[in-house]
Amino acid sequence: MIEDRGFSTVAIASVRAQAEKTRPPRALWTSAMLGRPLGEPNDPAFQRQVLMAALRLLERADGPVVLEDFESDPPGASDRPDWRAPNVPHDDFATELAALMPVWEQAKARFGRTSVGLGFQPPERWAAFTDAFLAGGLPTVSGLDTAALALRFLCDDIKALYGEAAQAVGPAPSAGQVDRWFWHETAAGKLLNALRLVALASENNALKTVGGRFFVPAIYVA
Amino acid sequence: MARIEDIPQPTRDAVLAIPCPSFETTPFVAGRPLAERRIAIVSSAALIRRGDAPFAFGSAEVRFLPASVPTEDILVSHVSINFDRAGFQTDVNVVYPIDRLRELAQAGSIGGVADTHYTVMGSTDPAGMADAADRIAAQLAAEGVDSVVLSPV
Repeated sequence: MIEDRGFSTVAIASVRAQAEKTRPPRALWTSAMLGRPLGEPNDPAFQRQVLMAALRLLERADGPVVLEDFESDPPGASDRPDWRAPNVPHDDFATELAALMPVWEQAKARFGRTSVGLGFQPPERWAAFTDAFLAGGLPTVSGLDTAALALRFLCDDIKALYGEAAQAVGPAPSAGQVDRWFWHETAAGKLLNALRLVALASENNALKTVGGRFFVPAIYVA
Repeated sequence: MARIEDIPQPTRDAVLAIPCPSFETTPFVAGRPLAERRIAIVSSAALIRRGDAPFAFGSAEVRFLPASVPTEDILVSHVSINFDRAGFQTDVNVVYPIDRLRELAQAGSIGGVADTHYTVMGSTDPAGMADAADRIAAQLAAEGVDSVVLSPV
């Protein structure tokens, strides 16, 4: 659509089958996993290689459809046996979260950023907020229009805080290690599955929809 | 890995079942050598600035993202939960390679980095996005940007 308006475009493609169907003018398929199309985080050399390989396609004149494969897989996608999950108690969400807060602070200092913030409320309020949902309430938060959205983005923030804490120290875990720890070992993972069930049983259609689709990835539904 | 066989079910079937648009035209715009081009990023990760409202599900809007927005203030509000988040949690360049683009400009590999970048919600039917494409094109032209890299999530 942008090419139609007179500008050269190149797409980085994560799913080759989709690029084959949509046939953009120029596309570079990479084998990087969904969610990190440029490769591994904090690996600028590899990211630059991917980006440069894509940009070079802008100079190709043999269109109208150019689809190339990036030559190598991203490094570091495998599990790291020397990674250790944060050592916090998993008794209940509030206790676990409180113990995880200093670890999360370490992560923020290490990476200079946090992806927490979609839910418009600080972690100190999360446990009470989710308790209200589990008790059948429909609490809302300033900044988001509905209870469904408030809970949907709170779930995103919970996953973000835990994911960042998991990477606070030591070697970078694989994406799978972070996910398996969160969904199989933490009270937060169990909480999100419980919230999903409450949402699915709700008479609030918006909550039912977001709970069924956007709280727990299908492979981690308990 | 995003080799289709490595995507776990049922996400794999869902990804393959996403309707893919077909286009009547096959435009192909040639241009100057890469070292003379100014590049903009269009991200389908539904990026927002911290404090802004997340994208709505199915939104066909485009939001402008000034290059000056610090990466620590950029969040991902894409609706899907079936992609990795651990990557962009610590380095937003895995979906929005703004720092890498700057490095390529500094090295002289590209002519420059646009002042404005763009973000939309992926998984949206492009049939409703003509207005968004018009807005992007107008801003690209106003800034003298001639090329775009489309980055997914």
